[in-house]
Amino acid sequence: MNERLLSSEEVILKDYSVPNPSWSKDLRLLYDQYMKKCEDGSWKRLPSYRDVAVQETEDFKNFFHGYRCLDLSWHFSHTCFSCAHPDSKLIKEEQMPQARVFIRSYEDGLGFEFVMFHNDVEKKTVCLFQGGPYLQGLSGWLHGGAMATMIDITSGMAASIGERIVTANLNIDFKRPVPLYSVVVINSQLYKAEGRKLFVSCDVRSVDGKTLYAEATSEKLPLSFFWLICKAGS
Amino acid sequence: MIRKGFQVAARLGYHRVLPGTPRILPRLNTAAAFGSSTESLVSRFCQEKTNLKDYALPNASWCPDMLSLYQEFVEKTKADGWIKLPSFKSNRDHIQGLKLPSGLAVSSDKSDWRIFTRCIQVEGQGYEYVIFFHPSKKNSVCLFQPGPYLEGPPGFAHGGSLAAMMDETFSKTAYLAGEGLLTLSLNIRFKNLIPVGSLAVLNVDVEKIEDQKLYMSCITLSRDQQTVYAKSSGVFLQLQLEEESSQ
Repeated sequence: MNERLLSSEEVILKDYSVPNPSWSKDLRLLYDQYMKKCEDGSWKRLPSYRDVAVQETEDFKNFFHGYRCLDLSWHFSHTCFSCAHPDSKLIKEEQMPQARVFIRSYEDGLGFEFVMFHNDVEKKTVCLFQGGPYLQGLSGWLHGGAMATMIDITSGMAASIGERIVTANLNIDFKRPVPLYSVVVINSQLYKAEGRKLFVSCDVRSVDGKTLYAEATSEKLPLSFFWLICKAGS
Repeated sequence: MIRKGFQVAARLGYHRVLPGTPRILPRLNTAAAFGSSTESLVSRFCQEKTNLKDYALPNASWCPDMLSLYQEFVEKTKADGWIKLPSFKSNRDHIQGLKLPSGLAVSSDKSDWRIFTRCIQVEGQGYEYVIFFHPSKKNSVCLFQPGPYLEGPPGFAHGGSLAAMMDETFSKTAYLAGEGLLTLSLNIRFKNLIPVGSLAVLNVDVEKIEDQKLYMSCITLSRDQQTVYAKSSGVFLQLQLEEESSQ
């Protein structure tokens, strides 16, 4: 399949969370099912970009609807994200010039093929994930670290509150290894908020829901709060 | 009678998946099953005479901290019993002549598989790391420098990338210390963020080996040990690899 060369702006703005030729039938079917759920507005497909600045802007738009001043053209001329936030206490931080969303740093089908859907009322994020051959652990099986990465990121989306959050704790129980190329469904749910701490539970299942691959819980914090704790020492 | 069958199977080093069992593989009589010494595991793993590219060697992207600590550990490999682990493109390259047990063996033989932590091939952009292992202390030290592709909060490594580095270090330690093969659990408490391009040092200890499981702890520190980046623990399942039959 020949693709014309995309301009650099098109590459930066390309949304990866849409079907491509490497997607298996299982992944496409699930994608269609979830797109149907989006029709009444309860669920929303989350776009996914390679460029960190673009991803941040989109995440912000998706989760913090009232915020107006952050638009793409402003973003390309200012690499700092956090100083724009109304109650940010952070000093101005520049993003690395080559920063990339690493789960999007692969050619089609070789690494992380995924799409996330979010339900803001129920505080749930579902990630449909197909791991490719560059995510290997034992031969033919997904690396535990790649699974941990997707669990961490999906849990982060479930906890999204419109400001940048980081993980304070992550606990994963692996029940079965995941075969490379297979599709799994990562269900994450924000189940508790205590002060500024956000608690997310997560499970990873096969497409038919019958096989449980992993269960996880994590605690997320707003980045500004995390910095306060770090400075206080722990 | 079934239990006796398992013991016999374990002695033969042969594992079979039983239909209907919730576990992937049956429990084994640990005393009989794991006979490979750490020394033999290490020598097979390290494969000194090989044309395979070793990714765990200094390159132009390594920061001064990483280079200097690397040199310190290289000195320790000469006198103090430390071993630098090679890092090949695929885990299969580390276990030539061996294969996964029947429950885990995959039939297709794709050569384009890559281990997750060596997939970003541009130097300095992803995971730059090297692991040193001490066979008798059953202790590992991983020098990890996250690149810009691993960024989470601006200028800092994503928590998921450190989780992956921990899993990988636990995995190599578990295998060499006692044939640990599959991650059962990971528990990570993040304390501080690692600046992209700087060195984080993961210190892994094997706490105990019990009931077919290896229990390990890890503390991740800055070079000067003044900043704790994370504390974590991992549990791995012991499973014996099988000899590849000559064909």
